[in-house]
Amino acid sequence: MVAVPATAGAQTLFGSGSSAEQPILQVLFRAYNRLHPSIKFNYLADGGNAGVQDVQAGRRLFAVNTRPPLPSDAGTTYFKLFLDGLCVAVNPANSISGLTITQAKDIFTGVATNWSQIAGSNLTTTIDPVGRNSSAGSYTFFQQAVLGGQTQSSNVHPVTSDGLVATSVSKDQSGIGYVGLAHTGKGSGVKTVTLNGVACNQANIKNETYPLFRYIWGVLPTNGASRTVEKFFDWVRTSKQAGQIISRAGAVPAFNKK
Amino acid sequence: MDEDDFLERDRGLSQDQRAELGLGALVFVVMALLVALFVFVLHEAWPSFAHNGLGWFGGGGSVDQELQAIARSGDLKEAPVYTFHAWPLIWSTIVITVGAVAIAFVSSLFIAVFMVEFAPAWLGRILEPVVRLLASIPSVIYGLAAVLVLVPFIGNHLITQSEKASVTPTIQLSGSSLLAAIVVLTVMIAPIMIAVFADGLRAVPRGWLEGSLALGINRWRTFWKVGVRTARPVFVAGTVLATARALGEAIMLSMVSGGVGFAPNPVDGLMFFFEPSRPLAATIIAFDEELSSPPMKHTLYAIAAVLLFSSAMLSVIGWAAKQPMRRYGVVP
Repeated sequence: MVAVPATAGAQTLFGSGSSAEQPILQVLFRAYNRLHPSIKFNYLADGGNAGVQDVQAGRRLFAVNTRPPLPSDAGTTYFKLFLDGLCVAVNPANSISGLTITQAKDIFTGVATNWSQIAGSNLTTTIDPVGRNSSAGSYTFFQQAVLGGQTQSSNVHPVTSDGLVATSVSKDQSGIGYVGLAHTGKGSGVKTVTLNGVACNQANIKNETYPLFRYIWGVLPTNGASRTVEKFFDWVRTSKQAGQIISRAGAVPAFNKK
Repeated sequence: MDEDDFLERDRGLSQDQRAELGLGALVFVVMALLVALFVFVLHEAWPSFAHNGLGWFGGGGSVDQELQAIARSGDLKEAPVYTFHAWPLIWSTIVITVGAVAIAFVSSLFIAVFMVEFAPAWLGRILEPVVRLLASIPSVIYGLAAVLVLVPFIGNHLITQSEKASVTPTIQLSGSSLLAAIVVLTVMIAPIMIAVFADGLRAVPRGWLEGSLALGINRWRTFWKVGVRTARPVFVAGTVLATARALGEAIMLSMVSGGVGFAPNPVDGLMFFFEPSRPLAATIIAFDEELSSPPMKHTLYAIAAVLLFSSAMLSVIGWAAKQPMRRYGVVP
């Protein structure tokens, strides 16, 4: 007689990749594990590019990346999982309603330092830009999408979480910061501004008109992909439950059923 | 217990002996863990020190840009970058710690003297538990309160627009500053000092005080010259304890100190206290997400090693300072 282990048929799916998306992925992993108790996840947040290399080398079953496929990603297939957006927010006392990408870049690179230099603002005070510390995913995203790869200026006050960015801006009339969509709700005490005339909200991120959106991609080997991982990606992409989880965690569901 | 005694009772150990052996073993385990901790941290820190030499403690360049280069070099599969000049972080740690400990020491001394000797009994009964409660509040709560109240107050009311304009875009005077860090840290460590100081003052033999009073010397002078003088070793012990806590404080300081690797310049006069910085321990918090990058890991361990070494030195200095005071002092 062979004793049947309690975890008969249990399977651990090994993945790696983006650290910025790790919080959202962890919630999705937990929810999927509750639906399918025999499937567990092990995710190494070593960065999107390292994750793709892990899949190419066969060290991991899947990867999650925050950029579209490049020629160097040979042998892998990319799937759009969901969307992510970064809002630019100011204090409600500031009358400004919109910025251009160039103005945002000037503010966060220390070129524009007074609100009087920004058309549409009623303030004449020094601009107090607030950003993330350099190890944050949104730091890199903002750096690439807005600053054109430049380092944010040393007068940007770096804080260690998106919540603290929103708090700092809400307490300072001259403040401006970049935060995930989830941190700009009614109670946040900040006001989002339009970028190049487009408002930062779920609809505009979903129809790709807002400038600071990006797809979060699932990456699988082109040949011999794990069927179990494919099923998980399908659940993340299309199920209503995953859509709700993604919304709540601060990202934007792209293809999920309503 | 000597060895012969032990051999005679080989049939079984008494309860006392078992307890003694058990506690001895525990102490040994703790010592071994401590040694292992030092060895591990120093081993992990070595590449950073080896690469930079004494320049590690010096200044030059932007420490934040150096840290970003270190973090990036872990991903690019090229030669790791280790160049790191920690002076702005060390300077920030020194200013904040010394500032907070100095203010906390003076105020704690007076509060403890008042609590023990001059406060009416009912007030003492209230003060005592309040101080102990304050000493045990987690630092993140002080950090949150400071971010929501103190930092905006400094930013909106104490710092003027012309001061802000004069330093932008080099740094931002947001309210997160040396001042905020020192004030909150003082509030954090003072209760520890008060509790320890008060215990020491209470341990002063009554006879010594009464002897002085009997000679017609007034209460204040008696307590100052006899009580406080006798309790000096306890003041040293309390100060060492509080300084160690201040040195290692990370979460609260990462929230209120400003978060930039900038060395505040005393030449700026009063504005010095409004300038942002980031002490060593808070730097570990700010970059802990990059631990997967090997050069960053070694650099953060090097910072940890400096903090560990400082704490150890602090204990040694405290011990040495107490030696000349032992003769007439209460032993903590």
